[in-house]
Amino acid sequence: MDCIITVEIGTGAIRVVAFDLKGSVLGSAKGAYPTFHVKPDFSEQDPEQIFITMLYILKNFLNEKIHPGKYNVVCICFSAAMHSVLPIDKNGVPLGNAMVWSDNRAKKEAGDLRNADLGKMLYKATGTPIHPMSPLNKITWLKNNDKDRFAATRKFLSIKTYILQQLTGEYIIDHSVASATGLLNIHSLKWETNALKHAGITEDKLAELVPVFYSPSKLKNEYQHSLGLRDTTRIIIGSSDGCMATLGAGVYGDGKATVTLEESGAVRVIGKEVLQDEKQRLFNYLVTEGNYVSGGPTNNAGSVFEWYAMQFGDFKKAFDLESCIDMLIDEAAKMPVGSGGLIFLPYLQGERAPIWNANAKGVYFGLNIKHEQRHMIRATIEGILYNIYSIGKTLEEHRQIKSLSANGTYASFPFWTQMMADIFNKPVHIKQGTGSDSVAFGSFLLSATKIGLYKNLDEAAESVELPDRFMPGETNHGIYMKHFEIFERLIAKLGDEYDSIAKLQQDN
Amino acid sequence: MQNQLLLKKDCRELQPFPHIIEYACKKINTIQFDSLKKETSAFLRLYYVADGRFDWQINEQQYILYPGDLAVILPGQSFGAEKNFFDIGTVCWVHLQLQKNEYPDKWLIGKWSRLTDSECKTIGRILSINNSPVLPRIKEAGNTFQSMQHEFIHQEIGFTARINQLIDELIILITRHLTTQSSSRRDFPQTFMKLEQTLRENLSHQWTVEEMASLVGLGTTAFSEKVKSFTGFSPLNYLINIRISEAIKLLKRPDINVTDIALDTGFYSSQHFATTFKKLTGYTPSEFRKKNIPDN
Repeated sequence: MDCIITVEIGTGAIRVVAFDLKGSVLGSAKGAYPTFHVKPDFSEQDPEQIFITMLYILKNFLNEKIHPGKYNVVCICFSAAMHSVLPIDKNGVPLGNAMVWSDNRAKKEAGDLRNADLGKMLYKATGTPIHPMSPLNKITWLKNNDKDRFAATRKFLSIKTYILQQLTGEYIIDHSVASATGLLNIHSLKWETNALKHAGITEDKLAELVPVFYSPSKLKNEYQHSLGLRDTTRIIIGSSDGCMATLGAGVYGDGKATVTLEESGAVRVIGKEVLQDEKQRLFNYLVTEGNYVSGGPTNNAGSVFEWYAMQFGDFKKAFDLESCIDMLIDEAAKMPVGSGGLIFLPYLQGERAPIWNANAKGVYFGLNIKHEQRHMIRATIEGILYNIYSIGKTLEEHRQIKSLSANGTYASFPFWTQMMADIFNKPVHIKQGTGSDSVAFGSFLLSATKIGLYKNLDEAAESVELPDRFMPGETNHGIYMKHFEIFERLIAKLGDEYDSIAKLQQDN
Repeated sequence: MQNQLLLKKDCRELQPFPHIIEYACKKINTIQFDSLKKETSAFLRLYYVADGRFDWQINEQQYILYPGDLAVILPGQSFGAEKNFFDIGTVCWVHLQLQKNEYPDKWLIGKWSRLTDSECKTIGRILSINNSPVLPRIKEAGNTFQSMQHEFIHQEIGFTARINQLIDELIILITRHLTTQSSSRRDFPQTFMKLEQTLRENLSHQWTVEEMASLVGLGTTAFSEKVKSFTGFSPLNYLINIRISEAIKLLKRPDINVTDIALDTGFYSSQHFATTFKKLTGYTPSEFRKKNIPDN
């Protein structure tokens, strides 16, 4: 029987999933790798460890699940986290670790550029908000602060580019990952000269641009042997995790948006136009020519709730973090909507959308003597979702959203999903059981389209079934909106105060 | 702790215990100059504060200890008070002679102990990578010191065995305290990151699952399950993974020979390295090197 394998090079782990041609999951495996923080603001990963983890997991998975079942692997499709930068030397050897999406070292570079005319112009051309996450600013940082490494660099790769180069010998980058670098003109699909100039590089320092459907010529013989694959198995470069999560959630076309709730989160839509937000609050990434995923990312979703659980959870009764989180959610569910007038701003890790302020901090507002810990639990969840809603509202300035499709770990908690439906006052769909697998499923749809099972991605996305639906309740939306109004005023009001407190915290 | 007791090496009470250099439980009512000078010794020194507030320097760092706190001073580390005297309060301590073999962090506790050699090695490793010599609020240690005192004073039948047991107990208590301190159930990812770092820093060491598990204060079964669910790998496979990744980096540098790479990254031999490497990548290490460094 034929099968399609997807490989996700995620923010902290490799995930391998096999599908039959109907899209049913045949099996999956994962392998994690660490993120190193050698200095504050530095987030790095070891490209060799990612490569070896990928090889190890893929090989074991093939040997244990696929080869014994006599499956024919039609293709292997890759997806990856966005925004990574890996400099390599003249021999193709990595010059140190890769900077990953969460690396914030280019704060100053991003801050300077964001407010300059060039920054505004680059946002229009590239669709990527000017932020330390984008390779544009990371490479500029290297130019300004690590001159030797910058000078020794033959190419600046994405992690996926490196992995695929190891496997096939080609230096290639797909349009989706490239469109998140801040270096690609998303209108012309060429590298943006002004961005390259600003970063101090030329086109030959980057990998070759290819569409997400592109297949490199073939696997190197050694890997083909060690993985036990036939030479008919195609490699597909694939897309980014964000684009694939959106496609895999069936959001393709008008009226729909997807909400991803993992440690971080995002609200996204797909459409034919680039969304030009005056305040640079939204990103625009390219899936295929003329199809853009637009939206806003938040740093503060599940990670903030996990912070709460670790600090205040009851570990005497709970066996581990997961069961502690379950208990907290049960407690929160017993509390009234609006948490007795307690409002939480979830910006513990600075924030991207909707406020784009790296110095932002968390706030509990409205505490009174009657509040119990349980109010704070619920307020924490409400605050995280108010922030998601606020991103949704920004998107609605440009697009109409009739329904949501939710995915990610936290979307699998009915309490969260129902709250999202109530706050947005829109139906929320989730994919039963496989809530967190929409990245893999997106890659499956992309592969299936490539091999001709679907005419195009629109048709592929329409095939996504979302059987579970949460409908907004009758009264809750109104109560949430009274609180959200204050939430919105608070986030508009706080600004300089974040900078002052951030400075104070840094000095301590 | 009512009674005071000070036993020094070669005194009658310590004759059955050549490994105990000093044992004391001391109530300090007045300040006596030079009662606690800063000294470096070859012994393992354990100081428990039963009462009072003590301002001490351990390994050149300043610490303040309150009742219930225990200071663990390793052989070779300095310890004392900056003012050279004991503050007012009650302190119990014991100095233990350890059997050291040639490697710095592989000390054996001694024949009198019922801990096995491999347990001793692990304990030695845990103590040597621990950076916080003061264990806060460890009241059980106070009880153990009190029981030891009782045995020393009364010398009833079986007291040598009891005292040795109590020292074992103290060492086990400290080790378990250190490892659970570093690995709260609340945050396995963070615990795992610390372990990861220790593994990387000591990659050539032949790690066993028992050693890794005890470093984070878990039993082997629970440890293996947690690592598997967190990383997708069994502990040993995760380790092989780091070894190969490090080896790849070294292979891409022309200046180190393959045998050295094998041993540096913790493989038994270059043969073991070559087999493992080829099984995973399809290349032998030398082929891999040739493909990646064209000039060589």
